[in-house]
Amino acid sequence: MANTRDIKKRIKSIGNTKKITRAMEMVSAAKMRKAIEAVLRTRSYANLSWATVLNLARANGQDGRPPHPLLDAVSAGSAQAKRGGVKKVAVVLITSNRGLCGGFNSVIIKKVLESIRKHSEPHPNPLLRKEREQAGGVSHEFILLGKKGQAVYKNFNFPVTADFPKLDYINEVGEVIPVARMIIKDYLSGQYDKVMVAYTDFINAAKQLPRVKQLLPIDITTADEYLGVVGQDPRLGLNKELIEEKEKKHLQSGQFKYEYIFEPSPEEVLNEMLPRLIEIQLFQALLESNASEQSARRLAMHQATEAATDMAGELTLSYNKARQAGVTSEIAEISAGANALAE
Amino acid sequence: MFDKFIQFEIVTPKRVVLKDEILQITLPTRAGEITVLPNHIPLVSSLVPGVVHVKKKNGEDEVISISGGFLEVLKDKVVILADTAERAEEIDLARAEEGRRRAEELKQQARAGERVNFAEINAALERELARTKAVKRWRKLKNLE
Repeated sequence: MANTRDIKKRIKSIGNTKKITRAMEMVSAAKMRKAIEAVLRTRSYANLSWATVLNLARANGQDGRPPHPLLDAVSAGSAQAKRGGVKKVAVVLITSNRGLCGGFNSVIIKKVLESIRKHSEPHPNPLLRKEREQAGGVSHEFILLGKKGQAVYKNFNFPVTADFPKLDYINEVGEVIPVARMIIKDYLSGQYDKVMVAYTDFINAAKQLPRVKQLLPIDITTADEYLGVVGQDPRLGLNKELIEEKEKKHLQSGQFKYEYIFEPSPEEVLNEMLPRLIEIQLFQALLESNASEQSARRLAMHQATEAATDMAGELTLSYNKARQAGVTSEIAEISAGANALAE
Repeated sequence: MFDKFIQFEIVTPKRVVLKDEILQITLPTRAGEITVLPNHIPLVSSLVPGVVHVKKKNGEDEVISISGGFLEVLKDKVVILADTAERAEEIDLARAEEGRRRAEELKQQARAGERVNFAEINAALERELARTKAVKRWRKLKNLE
């Protein structure tokens, strides 16, 4: 039986740990609330800008002029086609700055590695497989947002091109502008053929999903890949067919209903608007990731607090047992002594 | 009297600033100030920092300062995607003036010294200018001064 004093010490230290984890739980619960609000506020802007770009994209490139370079994914004159397929991919990886948030970071990193592996393997479709072999494989580079992303380099040896500091509170779009500018510049200069963003999508306080999405080239045909698009939101509980139908309708109505006037010109408007769209999507990814991080931390800390409570309970039990054993043996000794005297 | 309205919405990355039915809207585009009335032809344009003037369905006026963004006019619908936007009633004139003064100072300094983020300072100045202008127009409308 362990010493009662030792057990008492442990109970006390576990109690202290519990206090800390409980405090952290409360803090992240408050932060989570704020982060969720921020996500929801940005959503309507993201939706509307996406809808506008959809409309614009169709008007652009219809009258024989080549489509905007940021929009162009597949046409003959596109950057990708010129280089013969996708060879270099940049991944913007959004992680947390701090630990103690459960599997938050490892889950997103694992997801990214999985998707890289999937794209490096021979393609199941023989035609595409050949194409990929001719392209000579794909190389990946990382752009990090958040300190914990450094694991991709430390543990998996992927090259890191840039490591941007991430603030704990993000409420200005301005904070993602440097990242957005860099990827747009590098994409246009041909350093990358594709830019992906990996972040954790916030679904609800108990559920977060890691996602890898294409940022560049902007692909208007796969709208569901995008952040916060109307009707694409899993939070609304819409099923996929409904979404697809809506999208189709939208595409049709967009084609036939609207003849836009552009001021000053389609190119100039798109030149200003598309970088803005990239910024807003990065911004939203960041906000989603933040909300997810805080909920993951809240959950982890909640579990830690519960574990501490269990442990303290068990230790109290063994403490009481030890104490009772001590009392019993003392009584036994005293009564033995009394008996000896009486004899 | 009016049987045609425009569904109007102005949003920034941070919030929805105003969403209402309106009769007409005047806004500063890159090519100059324009007014949009119901049944306007679909139009997309980029906006410059300035004052947006809205006439609401109930006859009230609304003045909003914006610092650039985009305008999308659809049939009976106007959407402004603004970088930042503030309703004039929410702006404190004294603070707006103060902000403008600071921005001007910064510009002077930047001119004298290195030209690091001159564009940013300029944008800030334009934004502050738009804010002061918006408050002034708002006050004039409301006969506050």
